[in-house]
Amino acid sequence: MKIGIPRSLLYYYYYPFWQTLFAELGNEVVVSDPTSGDQLNEGVKESVSEICVPMKVHIGQVLNLLEKGVDLIYIPRFVSIRRGITFCPKFLGLPDMIKNSIAAVRGKILTHEIRAKTDDISAYKNYTIFRDIFRVSKGELKKALEAARQNWLKFRALQQEGYKTEKLLLGEKEKREEGLLKIGVLGYVYNLYDRFINMDFLDRLEELGAKIVTFEMLDGDIVDRFIKNLRKPMFWEFTNRLMAAGYHFINSADIDGIIHITAFGCGPDSILGPFLEIDAGQKNKPFMTLRIDEQTGESHLITRIEAFLDLLKLKKRSDIA
Amino acid sequence: MRVSFPYMGSTIVYGKLLELLGHQVVMPEPPTRKTVDLGVKYSPEFACFPFKVIMGTYLETLERGVELFVTTGGQGPCRAGFYGELHKKIIQNMGYDVDFIVLDPPWRDYEKFFRQILTLKGDNSWFKVAEVIHTVYKMCKSVDIIEKLITTVRAYAGDRAALNRSWRDILTAYSQIETARDVARVEEEALRVIEKYDIKLPPQEKRIRIGIVGEIYVVMEPSINGNIEEILNSLGAETERSLYLSTYIDETIFPWIGRKEKKKLIKKASGYIDLNIGGHARLSVGQIVDFKDRGFDGVIHLKPFACLPELISESMLEKLSADLDMPILSLSIDEQTAEANIMTRLDAFVDFIKYGKAYSKERVSLSV
Repeated sequence: MKIGIPRSLLYYYYYPFWQTLFAELGNEVVVSDPTSGDQLNEGVKESVSEICVPMKVHIGQVLNLLEKGVDLIYIPRFVSIRRGITFCPKFLGLPDMIKNSIAAVRGKILTHEIRAKTDDISAYKNYTIFRDIFRVSKGELKKALEAARQNWLKFRALQQEGYKTEKLLLGEKEKREEGLLKIGVLGYVYNLYDRFINMDFLDRLEELGAKIVTFEMLDGDIVDRFIKNLRKPMFWEFTNRLMAAGYHFINSADIDGIIHITAFGCGPDSILGPFLEIDAGQKNKPFMTLRIDEQTGESHLITRIEAFLDLLKLKKRSDIA
Repeated sequence: MRVSFPYMGSTIVYGKLLELLGHQVVMPEPPTRKTVDLGVKYSPEFACFPFKVIMGTYLETLERGVELFVTTGGQGPCRAGFYGELHKKIIQNMGYDVDFIVLDPPWRDYEKFFRQILTLKGDNSWFKVAEVIHTVYKMCKSVDIIEKLITTVRAYAGDRAALNRSWRDILTAYSQIETARDVARVEEEALRVIEKYDIKLPPQEKRIRIGIVGEIYVVMEPSINGNIEEILNSLGAETERSLYLSTYIDETIFPWIGRKEKKKLIKKASGYIDLNIGGHARLSVGQIVDFKDRGFDGVIHLKPFACLPELISESMLEKLSADLDMPILSLSIDEQTAEANIMTRLDAFVDFIKYGKAYSKERVSLSV
């Protein structure tokens, strides 16, 4: 069978897992084309106007896969990958939304709930429906899941060693650039690594001489320990991770500044933002929020990054002097 | 201690609860344009609208010397469960010296929950606490009955202004009750007052009934949703909401009471939303189907701008409307909402329903 995987949302975190899993089960894996203006416009047409841009991108990707003539489109329902913490409501209702707003996709969605204790999502119990769909035995499915897990763990280890996520997903290996300034970049994977919607934001930062640190490059323990110690963690998995990374950056002397990149209308970030902004201010750590949506202008983004980095350079020089 | 709480729905309930427990209550005023502007100024830009309005009422009541705010937290995944924490952070960062009690579901932290309850209980005996809760609960149920009656008969009232005045008087009477017996007395009195208007309901097939579903705050709070029910009533349509105060209390405090109803709605929502995704999104969809099953003529879906869970339900309204053959209008409410916009759209919506009704009758009579 031809299984389509949209190049959006958690593709940027779990693609190595999915790719191995479906290939091991004897399927051809088709990934949608990288986000483009036309594709996004198609997505916008089929979306509710107020929804965040990553969801519009996702819908565009699903439409793109339909054009490619795949048999099934994989849209799992991520419920929880940590005890007591769920995903953003849009993830929880994702298959429902797609199924009920795009008529052509009905009957072509492969979906199931993912509930796990950690971000290792390979537990067999989540995948039992695969046995009937792909006509495999329990043993074969378990073996495929294990292979997928190994591949994904390798990917995670490389991320933590500082290899570029966007290159790893394409099967290439390239280290993050070194730079004069060390910038903590906070953002969800689907905003950080979709070059179209963030207008090559990461490359531009590097060109301007920044060394980038993101949440998935941090040691998993830092994040887990932080979330465990929160009196009341946020309800959303990746928001908590950003919060953990954010406070880690605020308290790290070697981080020169923090950029929070967020989508227009992102609900969880509207709650997270003020916490980080207030506390970064109190600790005297430069903090900037960049907001992106389908109408963001490129020059506006560049101007703001440049200005921010210039200020950081000035600050660094005056700190040394 | 001077205590206050967020403004939502019939505030008399929270006010009454704290007052009967012997606290000095600072009653928040209904939000005005000024409240909203104040809230917007000090809230994150993309926080949802209820957050901003509550922020505004907090800041206004702070001027009147509040020492403690009592509010509820939650389980998520809707943002509202984190409001308390964020309000606290921002207000304390602004330099106010005020305490917050954020009541989270007890299982998150039993010890903390118990401590908070003890603070609120004060010197009252547990028996007294139970009695107070009983009285307030009775009051909610009673207010809801009267409100449903009002939003039905107001559609046909000759002197709507007088009826609105009576409704306000009734609410004042409720706010003065002290025992469960008072509740019964006020309710009887209210029914008598409404009866005096001598409003006759037209025959069933001529009545236009519109259901209102969506996010709890904008559905329940008339000063926020631009008095949507009154407008619809004035256009000759009866209204019923998916959420009333007692439904909310049933859900949060006595979950076993509303369980059967909830199960029914979840069943009706199946195939559309198959998981609790936060807020009332799943139940909203169930309610839409339920309103259709009960013969309503249309549904209005309300949500604050960019509400997380209700965006998912909004995305399937088109399909729902086609599947159910019932008009559904979705409105987003926030600080930019203009009254004239809501008016025009409601007017068109009711006209559309009236026309549809007349037309389908014609069709029936033609075929006979």
